Amino acid sequence: MKTPFRTVAVVGALAAASIAITGCTTTETGGEPAVEEISIAFVMGAESDPFFQAMKVGAEEEAAAQGVELIWQGDPANYSAETQIPIVDAVLAQQPDALVLIPTDPVALQASVDKAIAAGIVVANVDTRVDDLSNVLTFITGDNTDGGAKAADALAAKIGYEEGGSYEVVVGLTSPTATTNVGRLDGFTAQIEAEYPGIAIVDVAYSESNPEKAATNVNNWLTKYPGLDGIFAIDGTNASGAAAALEAKGLVGTVGLVGYDAYPDNVAKIESGIFTALIAQDPAEEARLAIRTIVEFIRNGSTSTPAEVVIPNVTLDANTSAADLAKYTYVAN
Amino acid sequence: MTDSSQAISVTPTPAASARKMRAFDALTSQSSLLLGVLVILIIVFTILEPKFFSVATASNILTDWGSIVLIAVGQAFVIISGGIDLSVGAVIGLSGVVAAWTMASVLGLDQTVKGQDAWGGLLVGAAVSIGVGLLVGLINAFLINVLKIVPFIATLSTMGAALGLSVVISQGAPIGSANDFALISSFSPQWNPLSPALVVVIVVVTVLGLYLHKARVGLYTYAIGSNAFAARAAGINVARHLTWVYAVSGALAGLAGIYVYIRLGAGSPSSGTGRELDAIAAVVIGGVSLMGGIGRLSGVVIGALILFTVQSGLIMIGVEPDWKKVVVAVLIAAAVAAQVLRKSDGRS
Repeated sequence: MKTPFRTVAVVGALAAASIAITGCTTTETGGEPAVEEISIAFVMGAESDPFFQAMKVGAEEEAAAQGVELIWQGDPANYSAETQIPIVDAVLAQQPDALVLIPTDPVALQASVDKAIAAGIVVANVDTRVDDLSNVLTFITGDNTDGGAKAADALAAKIGYEEGGSYEVVVGLTSPTATTNVGRLDGFTAQIEAEYPGIAIVDVAYSESNPEKAATNVNNWLTKYPGLDGIFAIDGTNASGAAAALEAKGLVGTVGLVGYDAYPDNVAKIESGIFTALIAQDPAEEARLAIRTIVEFIRNGSTSTPAEVVIPNVTLDANTSAADLAKYTYVAN
Repeated sequence: MTDSSQAISVTPTPAASARKMRAFDALTSQSSLLLGVLVILIIVFTILEPKFFSVATASNILTDWGSIVLIAVGQAFVIISGGIDLSVGAVIGLSGVVAAWTMASVLGLDQTVKGQDAWGGLLVGAAVSIGVGLLVGLINAFLINVLKIVPFIATLSTMGAALGLSVVISQGAPIGSANDFALISSFSPQWNPLSPALVVVIVVVTVLGLYLHKARVGLYTYAIGSNAFAARAAGINVARHLTWVYAVSGALAGLAGIYVYIRLGAGSPSSGTGRELDAIAAVVIGGVSLMGGIGRLSGVVIGALILFTVQSGLIMIGVEPDWKKVVVAVLIAAAVAAQVLRKSDGRS
């Protein structure tokens, strides 16, 4: 949390840029000076999201291990192209050797990527991508569709799915357009149609990123579907709200709940049985691989990392070892 | 149901005629109209989904109503005084996060502390939460009274600061700590939809309603909202009263913060996102004029109830969630239109 406000970030970046122009050198976070200092700018989506907090931990670890300079930037709270583009511009003015970008919009950020590449800066995309990847070194992402399918498996196991039975589940979403929501719901729906035809997805509703609204949705579903078997809460916010609603109604364990994203507060609820399972991404590993790939490419002129890497999501449940739970929990530093 | 502010503007009439006017007012008052709308909504939703007519649904609606009615009542005080408070939604998030942080990091309570064991921690959390809200309210008053910033901009900036701070403190993730979910669960799922937390909310709202409509100092709010210069000339300490009004709004948002904390078992920076607009919607539907000086808390309380009846009903009948916004928009337009029409009637 070095930049609590966007203005501070922009002003700070401009100041850094002006220092660079006058010939001084700046040292940013992480990394001991190497013989040939490599600087990598990392522009993520929104600092307020634990997902990016965990990504930051991975990026800083790998930058320190490789002895490279890391310039970590992004808007404190808004995940939007409008706020991200000026930040990318300010960062590029510092003339880093490479840019790791989590584009908040595949079209709007294309120009920034093209500009960086034209300036001889190596570009990688993580989590989300720009439309044209032809000059992007690598695109590393988690598999949301696969995560949705894993959620279906976990929920079916909790319900005790049997052929010929009929079951009712609901899905708590954040918004109809968030690409991660869409991917996860597609994967969940496809897996249920293919493997668990007795399960009906009877309803969906949106939380608009507010956990209290997520709890409201679950309250109303529990009234409308007294025999509800399970809930798939598609992100951390929905997971928090659904867990609280089940606790308040005394239905923990009666209604299966599979959540998404390993927020620390939610991981602790696996042990107490509130969550049957949480599907987790591995943002730290995505960041580590991106930095490793860039350093390898700059030092050797080539990289063994493919142009597109999909890191599977993992299922965290009561059988997951404490070490793995700790590994996948989205920790901030 | 008379409107005290209208009573000031109505020209003196003979007693009999005044009684007649009052009877007419009562029938067409915002609260009576709103109750009518509420009954119609309940009938329509019940026809479309019979399960809607149940104690469980009442409990769902009232649980949602609890946090919003608090900030809506605060908002009503502010709007009647001629201002606006945009910071209340962000304050729900900030106060909940600071309370959760205090309970988790200072008192060392984690989410395994449940039931009555959590009461001590929750009391501390409630004090912290209300304190944070009060502080933001006082900052709003300072910006408005001393720095002479218009309320819209003053509270817009504290809204941004509160949101930013809550993200910084929580690092974006919910902070879980001790909780007793029984406080937010209905006394009896079959018979009584109220919960201990709701009883507190109802007591607070009743006391504030009596204060606004019965106490002389409460009535100053209307005088300032109708005409701040005249109020000052009449000897009312406008700055001091406005400080009080914004402090009440902030403290109520802090109380809503701990209410939402108890509901979620965690303080989350996004738990108040957009709630200031729900509060303003409830206030406007409730018949409070955004120009200041006019409105009653009874209308605001029912206005908030209508908002969540619509929300719950639309979820229950399975309407696309986006339609909720359309329905609420229509209600707001209808409420304001009704208000304007009745006003022109009264003048003729």
